[in-house]
Amino acid sequence: MIRKLYKLVILMAIMFILTSCVGKREIDDLAMVMGVGLDLVENKNGEEEVKVTAQIARPADARGQTGAPSGQTGEPIWSISATDKSIFGAIRKLENLSSRRIFWAHSYVIVINEDLAKNGIKDIIDFFIRNPELRMRTWVTVTPDDASELVSSLTGLEVIPGQSIEGLFKYSDITRAAPRSQMIDLHAAYLSDATQPYVARLKLETNELSNQTPEQGEMYKNVTHAGTGVFKDDKLVGTLSAKETRSLLLFVENIKSGVSIIPCAENEEDVTTFELVHEELKVIPDYKEGTPEFTLKVKTTGKLVETDCAIGFDDDQKIKELESNIEEKFKKDINKVLDKIQQEYGVDILEAGNSFNNKLPSKWKEMRVNWDDHFQDATFHVDITAEIKSGALLIEPTESNKRADE
Amino acid sequence: MSNVEQKMNQNLSRNIDTNVKVIQSLLKQNDDVVERTFYLPNQQGNKGTLFYVEGIVDTDKIERALKDLMYTSSANSNAVQTTSTESNLAMSIQTHMSHNSSVKVANTLQEGINGILLGDCFCIIDQSEQGLIFSGKGGEKRSVEEPMAEQVVRGPRDGFTEDIRTNTALVRRRIRDVHLKVEGLELGTKTKTTINVSYINGIVKESLVEEVKQRLNKIEIDGILESNYIEEMIRDAPYSPFSTVLNTERPDKVAAALLEGRVAIFVDNTPFVLVVPAHFWDFLQASDDYYLNFLTGTFIRWVRYIAFIISLTIPSIYVLLTSFHQEMIPTALALTIASGREVIPFPVLFEALVMEIIFELMREAGLRMPKPIGQAVSIVGSLIIGQAAVQAGIVSPFMVIIVALTGISSFSIPNFSASYSIRLIRFPLLIASGTLGLLGFIGMFFLLAIHAVSIRSFGESYLAPATPFKPKDQKDLLIRFPWWHMKNRPELAADNGIREANEKPAPPDKGNSETASNKISDEMNSDANTTSTANKKDASVQRKKSKRIKRKTVKLKDLMKDKNDEDQKSQDNE
Amino acid sequence: MKIKITNGMYMALIINMVYAKSIGVTQGSIARDVGSDMWISTIIATVSAMLLILLTVMIIRRMPKADIFDQSKAMLGPWVGKLICLVIFIFFTLSFGPIMVTFVFHLKDFFLPEAPLFLFVFIAVLVGGFAIYFGIEVIARMALIGVFSILLLNGLLILGALEDFDVRELLPVFEFGITKPVIASRHHLADWSIVIMMCLIILPLVDNQKEWGRSSLVGVIFSFIFIVMWPILETGVLTSQVTSQYLIACMQMARSAHLGFFLHRYEMFMIAFFGISILTQIAIALLCGSVALSKLFGLKDFRPLIIPVSLIMGGYGYWVVQSHNHAMDILENSWVSLSLSITLGVVGVVWILGFFLKKKFKSEKG
Repeated sequence: MIRKLYKLVILMAIMFILTSCVGKREIDDLAMVMGVGLDLVENKNGEEEVKVTAQIARPADARGQTGAPSGQTGEPIWSISATDKSIFGAIRKLENLSSRRIFWAHSYVIVINEDLAKNGIKDIIDFFIRNPELRMRTWVTVTPDDASELVSSLTGLEVIPGQSIEGLFKYSDITRAAPRSQMIDLHAAYLSDATQPYVARLKLETNELSNQTPEQGEMYKNVTHAGTGVFKDDKLVGTLSAKETRSLLLFVENIKSGVSIIPCAENEEDVTTFELVHEELKVIPDYKEGTPEFTLKVKTTGKLVETDCAIGFDDDQKIKELESNIEEKFKKDINKVLDKIQQEYGVDILEAGNSFNNKLPSKWKEMRVNWDDHFQDATFHVDITAEIKSGALLIEPTESNKRADE
Repeated sequence: MSNVEQKMNQNLSRNIDTNVKVIQSLLKQNDDVVERTFYLPNQQGNKGTLFYVEGIVDTDKIERALKDLMYTSSANSNAVQTTSTESNLAMSIQTHMSHNSSVKVANTLQEGINGILLGDCFCIIDQSEQGLIFSGKGGEKRSVEEPMAEQVVRGPRDGFTEDIRTNTALVRRRIRDVHLKVEGLELGTKTKTTINVSYINGIVKESLVEEVKQRLNKIEIDGILESNYIEEMIRDAPYSPFSTVLNTERPDKVAAALLEGRVAIFVDNTPFVLVVPAHFWDFLQASDDYYLNFLTGTFIRWVRYIAFIISLTIPSIYVLLTSFHQEMIPTALALTIASGREVIPFPVLFEALVMEIIFELMREAGLRMPKPIGQAVSIVGSLIIGQAAVQAGIVSPFMVIIVALTGISSFSIPNFSASYSIRLIRFPLLIASGTLGLLGFIGMFFLLAIHAVSIRSFGESYLAPATPFKPKDQKDLLIRFPWWHMKNRPELAADNGIREANEKPAPPDKGNSETASNKISDEMNSDANTTSTANKKDASVQRKKSKRIKRKTVKLKDLMKDKNDEDQKSQDNE
Repeated sequence: MKIKITNGMYMALIINMVYAKSIGVTQGSIARDVGSDMWISTIIATVSAMLLILLTVMIIRRMPKADIFDQSKAMLGPWVGKLICLVIFIFFTLSFGPIMVTFVFHLKDFFLPEAPLFLFVFIAVLVGGFAIYFGIEVIARMALIGVFSILLLNGLLILGALEDFDVRELLPVFEFGITKPVIASRHHLADWSIVIMMCLIILPLVDNQKEWGRSSLVGVIFSFIFIVMWPILETGVLTSQVTSQYLIACMQMARSAHLGFFLHRYEMFMIAFFGISILTQIAIALLCGSVALSKLFGLKDFRPLIIPVSLIMGGYGYWVVQSHNHAMDILENSWVSLSLSITLGVVGVVWILGFFLKKKFKSEKG
């Protein structure tokens, strides 16, 4: 028994020595990619090629002093790019550029230029889901700007731009102007027989002031959310603006709050702002005379957060009026988006097909083949109930009392 | 040698001078052997000689013995006078003159010499073929102090000492039961160390006691200096890094173990008492668990379990993550680790091994050095290793944290021999995961687990009651149940019936106007009629209680029966 | 063999024996057939497995001290007995294919893509062989640790996946009718066949004979509870289309589990727990193979056969996993048909013949 144990130990030792460090790579031998940009470019012969830009973190500079002395070059990121006919080709060329092994697993974001997205992103999806290293929760976005510029410019509060883009998705619940589109969702939507994919849209906007020369106005660029890119299968067919995206989010995400701005009754220029603290959407599918029908029941409760008008909270009449105003505005917004999605793009990104399938599976079997056509013909009834529950801290309006005696 | 043995086996001669010569020749070259000559106060004035070893005897006792022998009251001397002519002079001294509480008559020289070496004093008298052994054991010994290795916040502060009698007394003081047995035997051909096997009759499985005794009797060794000599010779799985025998300095822990049906082995000249059988979990449980509120007790027990897991796996997991599976580290953390490792010239595995070894060095140096210097060692170590090595770019700050965390965790394991064994087994785990990544980690962990599962300690599965799963014993594993809830003994006890019959404590029922004393008296005579005002619930509770009491009495009767049988047996043997 | 295992350990063995492959590889196969009705197929397979295991208990009860080998020898004579030994040995060798597929692809594809293939098979066989040297009782105790790790793994997954769970993906039920899920359940039933075969060998060692039937059923039900969570979550979180795309669907599931934004993945920890369970399964398969072979040669102890059996089964396993395509082909076609026919054949034949040869049992008992 003991002899056997010794043999086993020796065997293990030999095995460890012979095979040791299979696939081993130290963490400091890796060039950790924080963001990927994909562009469509033309080469000298006029052929279309893919340009891959990788935003690679320099850990020592990105983290500053962590005890060990670090090579202070100052730049927290190092951006490199390469072009080739395929993504794989370009990536292989990137490997030649880098002194460390390029490691894609930590990429926060994939930015795809809209021109490239119009040609199809199937190969991109495939590349990023096939590799076991890569995470499923990378943000996938499209941009009208150069993706290479977007991933290589220093933006935001974070030292690593990828991190600031993630921050945009993470923390801006109330005013977020783009859907949370992660690779895992994109993948599922692309494979699905009912829904079409959509991704967030990013834009570079010049709105950062220089601290040294503020008088020159905004001169640095920043990344912002700018709506949604709508796909038909793997091709980009259109975009929704930031405002339209707000209504889209009601369908596709479990958002809890938003903002609604209503003009005052007395004076059109003054506005009242409501924070919608609770929004709930119920989609009830139906089938009538060959076309699908959907009833959208939206329930929302809001609270008044800012107003120029004289609204007292004891005034039931006025509150009712405001509620109906909100409902109307809401309805208009939703219908506008529905129109755009249905008529202009003709793709179901609202997961309407899914709910139809759940409710009426037998009818779905007939319609699933060309669901997008049926979706275009579908009628939507929007039914909204808004309720204003509080005026935050105040009950009386903020009105000056100086002329109260008049 | 044979010469010495020959002399030892001689009977005592009638002539004192021959005897003295033989003893002197046997114990020559010994400065510490004292020889004292005196004359008995009888008519013949028999010459006597007393031998003892200075230092291991209590001089007061010797002097008292001498006083008995040299001065004597008239009554006693009469008795001696009358019997002095008889051959059994020694016997008459024992019965009539000596005040010593345990004076023995020795017939051979061997007994006498052994007595001298054990710390008694040997007295030979002219014209007598028998000698006398006065007990005089004494000398300097350490007093009962707080145990060094196992300290508690709340709980008894006495610890075992080097003296075996003190140790058994400390336990007997806790268990004043007729069933507590302390069996003695002597091991070591040269050291003749006293070993005591202690257990509670009726609670312990008899087969266990037999097994322990059998294993002890098999031991053939010239000397036993510490209980580990015995531990290594009686343990199961002798090659295993896991210790299967619990050692402790705490009398309360031994008492608790005895009450659970275990066997304790006391060894003279060491404060460490062995307890068998031991489960793996026993090494992670401290006395504090039982002396604090059960919620607190459970919490600190969990802290220790977590410490165990950390000290076993954290270095491996760190190496695994940083050299194989970097994609698993949260991005922000990965950047931080990478930035710390930016200038480190060594692979992570090497770094980890070096740091672990440096840590062990520091620990060992701090332990071996005299206390004041030991502190200096730890200061130098922490400064040099913690600060300078990181700044010099030889070790990454993260690795320092990992190693420190591992160290602290291993210190919080209450039994230090267990904490050593955990330190040992984390090295194969570290090397396997550093060379083969997750595959190595899983494989090595499985091997270790299989090994731990396969060993037994005196017939008990090492990982019980977790696996094999013993539902009844779960009350003292993950959660330390309140005392009133632990009604049964563990399954390893022979008598694992009712240990206590306590109900959950509750304030007296307000609706019931009875006073507390009334209630108690009601309980005492459980068949007494319940008062008409008592509600049904009360009655049912009482019924339950009486049942339990009945059961308990039945158990007791059984016990008594066993006891009687045993007494009969022992009488037969005699 | 005097060794006895408790009923609890027996249940743990059942759970470990079926769990590893059923949660991912099998679910992928089923998803390719019936889409979001994966969990229905799982239920159907479990119910049929219950019937089969009850049948097994009935068979072994006829001669409670003898396993299938001894029983068939007593009933049908030494030559048929040896034939059954051979068949069961072949069955366990074949079963090593899917088990290896599960073990190797989980670790190699997702964690160590650059490590050589033989290493995985080698370590699996080495560790398994080492474990069975200590005998069935030690493995049975290990199985309890395996169950504990399965619990942790399931808990971790639920923590990370429930947030993204969408019940709409599970609907509509019976999308492809009833026959299709029933047919698709063959994949899962093939997993159960390993358990049935194991029971034929191990059941006589189980302590409490009266509780055999109940323990078996409880074991199956517990396994079902641990397993069925996976198809439901896989459909609800990943969608059935995604599940069907992957060879190891459960890893994709584990990969997509996340705790908030900070811990965006932690599948490594889940796999560490998973590893204990599947290594236990490997050990049991090796043990059953060795016992079958030792009975074939009429040896009293199976230990001398550990190394040859490990080599044969490891070699077969290596041959199966050498390419994904090959592995998938064996897994979804030949393994399913072979395992089911062997299991149903052995259990059915022994059961039916038992009615005609009742006298033999009595004479054996006397």
